[in-house]
Amino acid sequence: METAELQDKIFAFCEAAKGKKKLKEKDIIKGVSAELGIDGDTVKKAMRAMIDVGRLMYSYGGGASSVEIPSEEYLREKGMIK
Amino acid sequence: MKKYTTPLIDELEKGPWPSFVTEMKKAAKTNEMANDAVGHLEKCYSTKVGYWKHGGIVGVLGYGGGVIGRYSELGEEFPGVAHFHTVRINQPSAFFYTSKALREICDIWDKYGSGLTNVHGSTGDLVLLGTKTDALETIFAEYSSRGWDLGGSGSALRTPSCCVGPARCEWANYDTLDLCYSLTQEFQDELHRPMFAYKFKFKMSGCACDCVASIARADMSIIGTWKGDILVDQKEVANYASKGMDINAEIVNMCPTHCMNYDGKELKINNAECSRCMHCITRMTKALKPSGERGATICIGAKAPIVVGSLLSWVVVPFIKVEPPYTEVKDLIRKIWEWWDDNAKPRERIGEVIEMKGMRSFLEAIEVAPMPQQIREPRKDPFMFYTEEDMVAFKAKEAEEKKTGKYKF
Repeated sequence: METAELQDKIFAFCEAAKGKKKLKEKDIIKGVSAELGIDGDTVKKAMRAMIDVGRLMYSYGGGASSVEIPSEEYLREKGMIK
Repeated sequence: MKKYTTPLIDELEKGPWPSFVTEMKKAAKTNEMANDAVGHLEKCYSTKVGYWKHGGIVGVLGYGGGVIGRYSELGEEFPGVAHFHTVRINQPSAFFYTSKALREICDIWDKYGSGLTNVHGSTGDLVLLGTKTDALETIFAEYSSRGWDLGGSGSALRTPSCCVGPARCEWANYDTLDLCYSLTQEFQDELHRPMFAYKFKFKMSGCACDCVASIARADMSIIGTWKGDILVDQKEVANYASKGMDINAEIVNMCPTHCMNYDGKELKINNAECSRCMHCITRMTKALKPSGERGATICIGAKAPIVVGSLLSWVVVPFIKVEPPYTEVKDLIRKIWEWWDDNAKPRERIGEVIEMKGMRSFLEAIEVAPMPQQIREPRKDPFMFYTEEDMVAFKAKEAEEKKTGKYKF
């Protein structure tokens, strides 16, 4: 599977959980690799590339961290949208 | 700059001790954020309300930790603390700095933050208190261009921390500074990209004096120890006695395993019973010293109370060699994380998961054999592990013995 296609699947996975469950990195890696039948390392690399360019972001609340789809506010802060 | 009257927090400047209020007021003379922090603190004291919000999405791109978002509910009244984020900088092993390095850190912080610092936070990091969201990327760029990096926060590996070790201490049983640096470099991903159920802390002490209090604070305490006997210089023992030390009261009776005796002439130690607690060695530094093979004891699971009550670390590996490139320690860490990751719910520390799942399941997963040294509470920790295969083999043996008449109940 092409990386871009995999990243779209990861994005869709996160979008489906939005507002329902705070996803840890491992939840995404396990969930997507099980769904697509590919190894966890490939999913991890693709997900981290998305975090590095701001397509996904780390969030923090109540002492625990999660991975989420960035808000407009976050993207504006990072200069990714105007 | 607005001038705040602060009768309540002024009380904290009285008395003989250094006062954080005095330091905040000094910073407030030149920094708007620090000035508003002073006013905000007075307001908190007068109303007995905190007003702080914590967490959120604040951070630098690609990193999941190192910045802790803090906002005040009173942003309009105190605009300088509307955003007041904390930045954690990964400290050097055992907190060795040059004055040039400290000036560099403070100069950058004065430029982009409140100028207030906490050196060091209880995590071990060099903590910079109070900056705005839009300054974070610039602050990170400034520090990283000078070789500094952010520390850990959130559900990640927290910045590893160690005692002063062989740099200044004769009792270090391994090079705590080098191990701390090596683990920091090896686990950069785990440090900067939160992937665990909750926080995980390493703390490294060179001996059982445990100057970084790893036994009470670290999920994984790596505490130096030795295998040989305690060497006794009887002349020096006599010297301590002649100078007024009551050896029986101060040393022998304080020994937790009662493995020593002193008849007024000679100090004897039953080394087989010694738990290497360091008490006698620290009191009679000239007379006693460790000998033989050096290494560390690995303990697991200390934490402060959150989900369950506070826990002290539990011995898992009584002795491990700690030498570069530390492959054995690193492999063990990976196995520990794998088991924790498979079994923990969000916000569960590893000590809590061991309490719930049992030490048996943990030891099996990390492939460490059960040993007497792991027993925390006698008669309470069953380390007799029987697998399904053991039971089948036992039954077959029993049937065979019954057939041949050798069976004895």
